[in-house]
Amino acid sequence: MNTGQPDWKRIALNLSAVLARWLLGAVFLYTGWSKALHTVDFLKLLRQYDLVQSYWLLNSLAAALPWFEIFCGVLLLTGVAVRGTALTLMLMLAPFTALVFHRALAIQSALAIPFCAVKFDCGCGTGAVFICHKLFENFLLLLLAAWLLAGYGRQFSLHYNLVKPKPR
Amino acid sequence: MQMKGDTLQSLALNRLHAVKGVLLEAVFVVVAGVLFAFAANKISPQGLALTRDYFPEGTGRLVSATPPAALPHHATGTNSTALDPAQWLAAELKEKGLQLVDRRQTLQLFHDPRFQQNVIVFVDARDEQHYRQGHIPGAYEFDPYHPEKYFDAVLPVCQAAERIVVYCSGGDCDDSETAAILLRDVGIPNQKLLVYGGGITDWTTNNLPVEIGGRNSGTMRNPGE
Repeated sequence: MNTGQPDWKRIALNLSAVLARWLLGAVFLYTGWSKALHTVDFLKLLRQYDLVQSYWLLNSLAAALPWFEIFCGVLLLTGVAVRGTALTLMLMLAPFTALVFHRALAIQSALAIPFCAVKFDCGCGTGAVFICHKLFENFLLLLLAAWLLAGYGRQFSLHYNLVKPKPR
Repeated sequence: MQMKGDTLQSLALNRLHAVKGVLLEAVFVVVAGVLFAFAANKISPQGLALTRDYFPEGTGRLVSATPPAALPHHATGTNSTALDPAQWLAAELKEKGLQLVDRRQTLQLFHDPRFQQNVIVFVDARDEQHYRQGHIPGAYEFDPYHPEKYFDAVLPVCQAAERIVVYCSGGDCDDSETAAILLRDVGIPNQKLLVYGGGITDWTTNNLPVEIGGRNSGTMRNPGE
């Protein structure tokens, strides 16, 4: 993106955005893979959220989410449909973060402990974590995804735009 | 003035096309991603069977929403979180027609000569990886989330046995309960099924013998390891 900044600044910004894309891709690849290796454990954790009553819907979510994360991770790492992937991840991350927050509140209320002392396995693929760390981490991931959605991280991409904007 | 208006309109149209492009891309990512995900689940050895109820009769919850009906009245007071977990588990199992056993009873069954004759059978309800890392010597492997892999070996033994002790990791784990219900649902009578609530954690922390690898491998883990 040409923003009228000096070259070195622009290069640094572009490189940072590519690193952000790779980081976001690697995070989703890792968390997806760790869930895909232990799908039953992920199913049990997902069930704690009481999201759906139907067992086939719950099974479908637990079966598909890990591989879907892997898919998105690979797209970001290789640089295919970057903005569409970033948008998809934001749409996944935001409600999931709200769910984790809601569950942490329930645990805090049940155990009568400070909010940041709440530690549980949220099914995020990283084991039991302190809730404040988790929320901060998700906030960072959302920021990175928003940055990519804004059109950064274009360099070293295989197919940045799947749908080319019409030239006018 | 007219030129400026045209430029602005052109910019707005370009922006609209860009937004449409991103939305279309997101739709593509979702559709392709979902197709990929279900295909990968289908071929993965860890894949889930979409139509199977993995939690029969409400098993698999770390925290029950309501106290079990079988809990004694004095135990269902206002502060239900302060309940003895063993008491809670015993009541939950009783509701399902299952019986909880503690370490002392489990040890008695383990040392009973009928254990060597498969009249008393131990069933480990954890996954293969955990089973191989260490199980009660002679216990059969039976992961209730992949039962089709184990039915052939476990079912005839359970049918012939008089007592079946099912256990998992202990603590929050209720895979032993899930496994017992699964066995009951395929025709093993309730009265035969006993759930060792303490599980392998309780067993190992008390320095009891642990076998590693396959069943009857003869390789024992040193106590305290």
